Amino acid sequence: MTIPALNRRGFLSGAGVSIALPAFVSLPPRSLFGATATESIATETMGMATTSTGAPLRMAFMSIPNGVQQEHWFPTAEFGLNETMKPLESLKTHFQVIGGLDHENATAGRDGAGDHARASATFLTGARARKTAGSDIHVGISVDQVAAQAAGKLTRFPSLELSSDLIRNSGSCDSGYACAYQYNLAWSSSSTPVTPEANPRLAFERLFGSGDRNQRRTNFAVRQQTERSVLDFVLEEASDLHRGLAVSDRQKFDEYLTVVRDLELRLKAAESRQDIPDVDQTTPAGIPGDFAQYMDLMYDMLFIAFQTDTTRIATLLLAYDGSNRIFPQIGIREGHHYLTHHQRESDLAKKVAAIDQFYISRFARFLERMASTNDVDGRSLLHNSMIVYGGAIADGNRHTHANLPVILAGHAGGAIETGRFLKVESQPMSNLYVSMLNHYGIKTDRFGDSTKRLSEI
Amino acid sequence: MNWNDSPFPSFLRYNMAWIALLSTCTLRAENPLPADDRLDYQKHIVPILKTHCFECHADGEKEGDLTFDPRLSDEQAVANKELWWKVLKNIRSHVMPPMESKRPSANEIATVAKWIKFRAFGIDPQDIDPGRMTVRRLNRAEYGNTVSDLMGIRFDATILFPPDDSGFGFDNVSDALSFSPLLMEKYLFAAQQIVERAVPRSTWMIPAQEFSGRDFQAPEGKQTGDSLSSKKPITVNRSVTIETTGKYQIDVGVKLHGSFEFDASRYHIVFRIDGQERSTNEYGWDEHKPLTYAFTEDWAAGSHELSFELIPVPTEKEVEPNSSGDATFARFEVHSVRIEGPEGTPKRVHPPNYTRFFSQEEPPVDVAMRLAYTKEILRKFATRAFRSPVKQVTLDRLVTIAQQSATEPNATFEYGVGQAMIAVLASPRFLFRTESAAESGTARPFSNVDEISLASRLSYFLWSTTPDEELFQLAESGQLRNNLPKQVTRMMKDGKANEFIRNFVGQWLRARDVTSVSVDPLVVLGYQKEWEEVQEKFRTIRGRGLRGDLPPNEQKIRDRVRELRAIADQFDDELKRSMRRETEMSVEHIAQENLSLLDLLDCNYTFVNEKLAKHYGIPDVKGREMQRVDLPTDSVRGGVLSQASILLLTSNPTRTSPVKRGLFILDNILGTPSPPAPPNVPELEASTGKFADHEPTLRELLAVHRESALCSSCHARMDPLGLALENFNALGAWRTEEKETTIDASGTLITGESFTDIRELKKILREKHAEDFYRCVTQKLLTFAIGRGLEASDEQTVDIIVDRLQNNEGRFSELIDGVIASAPFQKIRTTSMKASL
Repeated sequence: MTIPALNRRGFLSGAGVSIALPAFVSLPPRSLFGATATESIATETMGMATTSTGAPLRMAFMSIPNGVQQEHWFPTAEFGLNETMKPLESLKTHFQVIGGLDHENATAGRDGAGDHARASATFLTGARARKTAGSDIHVGISVDQVAAQAAGKLTRFPSLELSSDLIRNSGSCDSGYACAYQYNLAWSSSSTPVTPEANPRLAFERLFGSGDRNQRRTNFAVRQQTERSVLDFVLEEASDLHRGLAVSDRQKFDEYLTVVRDLELRLKAAESRQDIPDVDQTTPAGIPGDFAQYMDLMYDMLFIAFQTDTTRIATLLLAYDGSNRIFPQIGIREGHHYLTHHQRESDLAKKVAAIDQFYISRFARFLERMASTNDVDGRSLLHNSMIVYGGAIADGNRHTHANLPVILAGHAGGAIETGRFLKVESQPMSNLYVSMLNHYGIKTDRFGDSTKRLSEI
Repeated sequence: MNWNDSPFPSFLRYNMAWIALLSTCTLRAENPLPADDRLDYQKHIVPILKTHCFECHADGEKEGDLTFDPRLSDEQAVANKELWWKVLKNIRSHVMPPMESKRPSANEIATVAKWIKFRAFGIDPQDIDPGRMTVRRLNRAEYGNTVSDLMGIRFDATILFPPDDSGFGFDNVSDALSFSPLLMEKYLFAAQQIVERAVPRSTWMIPAQEFSGRDFQAPEGKQTGDSLSSKKPITVNRSVTIETTGKYQIDVGVKLHGSFEFDASRYHIVFRIDGQERSTNEYGWDEHKPLTYAFTEDWAAGSHELSFELIPVPTEKEVEPNSSGDATFARFEVHSVRIEGPEGTPKRVHPPNYTRFFSQEEPPVDVAMRLAYTKEILRKFATRAFRSPVKQVTLDRLVTIAQQSATEPNATFEYGVGQAMIAVLASPRFLFRTESAAESGTARPFSNVDEISLASRLSYFLWSTTPDEELFQLAESGQLRNNLPKQVTRMMKDGKANEFIRNFVGQWLRARDVTSVSVDPLVVLGYQKEWEEVQEKFRTIRGRGLRGDLPPNEQKIRDRVRELRAIADQFDDELKRSMRRETEMSVEHIAQENLSLLDLLDCNYTFVNEKLAKHYGIPDVKGREMQRVDLPTDSVRGGVLSQASILLLTSNPTRTSPVKRGLFILDNILGTPSPPAPPNVPELEASTGKFADHEPTLRELLAVHRESALCSSCHARMDPLGLALENFNALGAWRTEEKETTIDASGTLITGESFTDIRELKKILREKHAEDFYRCVTQKLLTFAIGRGLEASDEQTVDIIVDRLQNNEGRFSELIDGVIASAPFQKIRTTSMKASL
């Protein structure tokens, strides 16, 4: 493993991690695909996912379920933090709260009931989920996947999808919507959800290899070696099979072929990379029983992935929308979803606010780690990130989808302002995504149901 | 019952006539109606619609966003299939026309149904469209079972793979089974792991005896070493006999398990050989962590004893009643004990599992023969794995992989074959089920699926796994279709049919979810306040230490804490598992004995063990084993509606939810179609003023809800059903009061029948809603069997099966046979598949 010449002392002193350093655009590009391919990647991704100093620019999205208790959530106009956000007090200069963003496509139209499924499907897509119990799933590509498809080649993994919610109900999901809408945030196409990993051990092993620290890189290499040797066969078989299928079958099978081809490209790119980071951390044992620890562990996986530049794009589904989880840690024995339909009964509403704060407290811990860890350019990881925290339901009691709870943390390398309550005129949440994609180096003026850029950020 | 006494004579008269008609003849086949091709929209349908529907659904009226156009010609009218499907579903479930309006006659309903099916949907009853079928990815359960059967190892896919997204209520619906990069990586990784575990890497090895945890038994009781609780002291042992005196190598493999929740308990394991302690280790919760130990022993010929003793590490018991109590989430498994030797023996044997994959004693030395042997092994393996004959080009590729891998340093012939097997397990032909038509090049739009595809359809339906040797052989010789009834009977009797119960019942009645439901027993039972108080007091006492005698008042507090904790502890995982088993066994029982499906609505028996019986208040049941008990005639139990599993699943963590319960019955028992979409639901807060004097009961709140026309369309259907179950608390236990108010479980269904409690409701459902239930179960089972949501073209198929059930008292075999005999199960659209795959 070679350490490029740029002084990265600050980076290496980051908590507990010694790693191979990421290739980033300000450095001479390494040969990834041989000369021509390298050139084409370099042009394609010029300035993409990179801050003005040349450091990696990260993008992450966290979703909370069931809306929030608005009167406890939003700060004052002067950015005085309200009760729910108290755990974020020390991080005030690192984030902004945005008011006025809506997800019109999450509201009931002719599709009727099913607000939770519709909201979670809309959250990162800005699109309306087609109401189907499973036969013709359709929503829209998600913002993280737009970014991953453009800039994912820069890192070992184009994007990382995580979840800290393993609870699945059998049978039908929310009011006639297919379960895929409720349990996935990321969509690589309008009909293909990207499955999240909910087991921290497996997430870690996937990124860095299995076994003890001194075996991981070998194990990772062995795993990749076998994958490579098998994949040629798999691709040939898949192409044969594809030719024999009827048109309707082909569409379904295309999903599979795309995945296999993408994986092949990724493995090919990995051949020329020696940068599997040597992470100084024990492999997580599994899923902790305590939900706070569970969320922390998944946030940690995200943190390590960002710190090691294993990926720059991630989503974390904290709990699926409609979640009826109990919170004995803070003395709440009723289910979250049940409580949100409190009919304005103040006792119950307070409990909802406490749950909102519980979620925020884990986010605060993650932001603290990001803020106190130096990136390659000496700024903090958080400084070089754009992190959205929120959900597509505003008021969980009435299932409204206007004035959504949205936190945008990080400075995108200094490109965006923080430390304020940004109250904008009512407009689609997708406008925020267009601006984020632009900051990411992706030239577009449309995403989902956007009407314009959210230039105020 | 004399309907003249009923407060709803008109409805019941209609209803009785309907039932009489259905039970005496096959309605759809023998009704004196015009022949299908002579039914005409203007002539036959519009007059009926005019009488019963137009008031709300024509001439500008469009309630529920549905309107008819009386001016259309027959040709024009049939174009709107969506509309007619809605109409068919709603009239069939008696939702439309509304009860308070004039009832259509059975003949009128039959006429409309017939016109819709045969004209609007264009179903040809002689040649029913099997519907769209796409390639199907094996889901997590199917993948795990298939690997286990194919490779001869136990493979638990739930550790590595995420749960699949379900569609139409089932996780084997092909359209909903998506594919993602994460999944592909997991399939590749799993293939390596599986082959490493299952396929030998050498031809010969020193003889060894191998034992699994099940071979180690407790001297008393049935406990075996495959799963030991971290909290219960126990010893399991096993004697082994060796023929030759000498030095033996003993390899011990153990696994430390932890289920979903972390458990802090720790324990020691003492391993002894012939009574001599050889190792002691402390373990705790872990995620299926494997550990291995090696020992060398000089043994004389004869018998020797190996034992494992588990000793829990004592801890100060947590005061918080966590949901685990005495139950544990940490378990110890004796995974394998292998005794090899004696050292220096010239004897050699094949490694375990060798003959499963390798048919010859040794790989031939001759190059050409070795090549032929490689081909033979891989052809056999890939044929089974792909569930269809393997193509030459595929076989050539596999042989190349095997040959190249065998030339790697330290590689063996077997290793090379194993590498090719990894490729097989990663192949889309293994991961996806594809099917072919029996007749190729036919001009007909539908054909039977070929026998080999039928074998897969059967085995994934009834076993959730790959076909076994018998099914394969019948299919290969073209004899499966001819032997279908015999094979179905054999399959249902096979132990693998447990998977059908687990997967179908587990999802249809949601029995799968019982063990992961979160519920707070102390709150449900009304002890929350007291618990918080005594706990608070107890904390201060405990702060001073618990050693020695406490003053009497503090002693009392400590005792009460323990009592309450004991109450909470009763509600443990074992009880939840018993609940799940009760529901599963109820269906298993009617399947095995070929009883009526209606027993699931109401019957005089159920399945419990001591713990569940206590929960229900059923006396004289002893032991942990689930057993059938006969119930007294006035029992509230019997039938799935009053089973704790469903009552628990449809509750919130601290209280019941009549809405969820009502909805569950509509969706899964009666199959009532979903109502038109409500616009934004208004808040109830305006109504709370009505209850200034007292806290409203759920019943009162729901009554307010129903006052609004907007809400009543749904709630009038759900609420009576849900409220009828209010006598069962959120844990499924019987109660007569809530908050010191006597519970009123009476009600009137939207179809008019009144009842005073659950007992009467169950009778009504069994006697008057049998057809609704048959139709609902048929739809669920057909969805599960064919792996897609039902379409309009399936209406006739469902009708045929419902008729079979009606004519045979709802016997279970009619349902299974009906589904298997149906067009969607037997046939395939020829235009949708190319001739050869």
